[in-house]
Amino acid sequence: MEGLTQAETRELEQRMQKRQVKEFFGLFSNLVDHCFMSCIDDFTSKSLTTRESGCVSRCVQKHMALSQRLSERFQEHNAQMQQQQQQQLQSQLR
Amino acid sequence: MSFLGFGRPQQSSAEKIAAVEAEMRLLTEMANRLTKTCQKKCVPNDYREAELNKGESVCLDRCAAKFFDVHMKISEQLQQESQNRGGGSGLGF
Repeated sequence: MEGLTQAETRELEQRMQKRQVKEFFGLFSNLVDHCFMSCIDDFTSKSLTTRESGCVSRCVQKHMALSQRLSERFQEHNAQMQQQQQQQLQSQLR
Repeated sequence: MSFLGFGRPQQSSAEKIAAVEAEMRLLTEMANRLTKTCQKKCVPNDYREAELNKGESVCLDRCAAKFFDVHMKISEQLQQESQNRGGGSGLGF
């Protein structure tokens, strides 16, 4: 984020916040769909069975865990890419 | 993935903000696709347990590494192809 004024930074932060809210709702919807598809298959009654309920709960937990893990890998990858770019830049400037 | 500002005319506020936003959006999309894809490849849908077991964890790590490699590989190949067809438009992914 090179050379942004304070006002620009603030504007950017606001936009990012809005985007993050949108993002969250997107993830939430996907999670509902996914866990529903994976866990719910008993339509002999209206209420969730204990099994289904537990499954949904585990589904969410597992999803959060995998999401976090992949997010870490992604950040490591980005850091590596930035480092490589900088090294390339430096060697070009010589 | 940052844009280098070499020899560029002064960007307006709106342009600068839009550029950063666009980059963020790309990254977020990529992160989401990574999650969706590797979840499908590595985590079965039965959810008998709440925690990732060792096998799933290792699979996710490897899946992520391969995902990035494929991303790079295709990016390079597309650039190569577009150069071969004359006029590298240099789409710098």
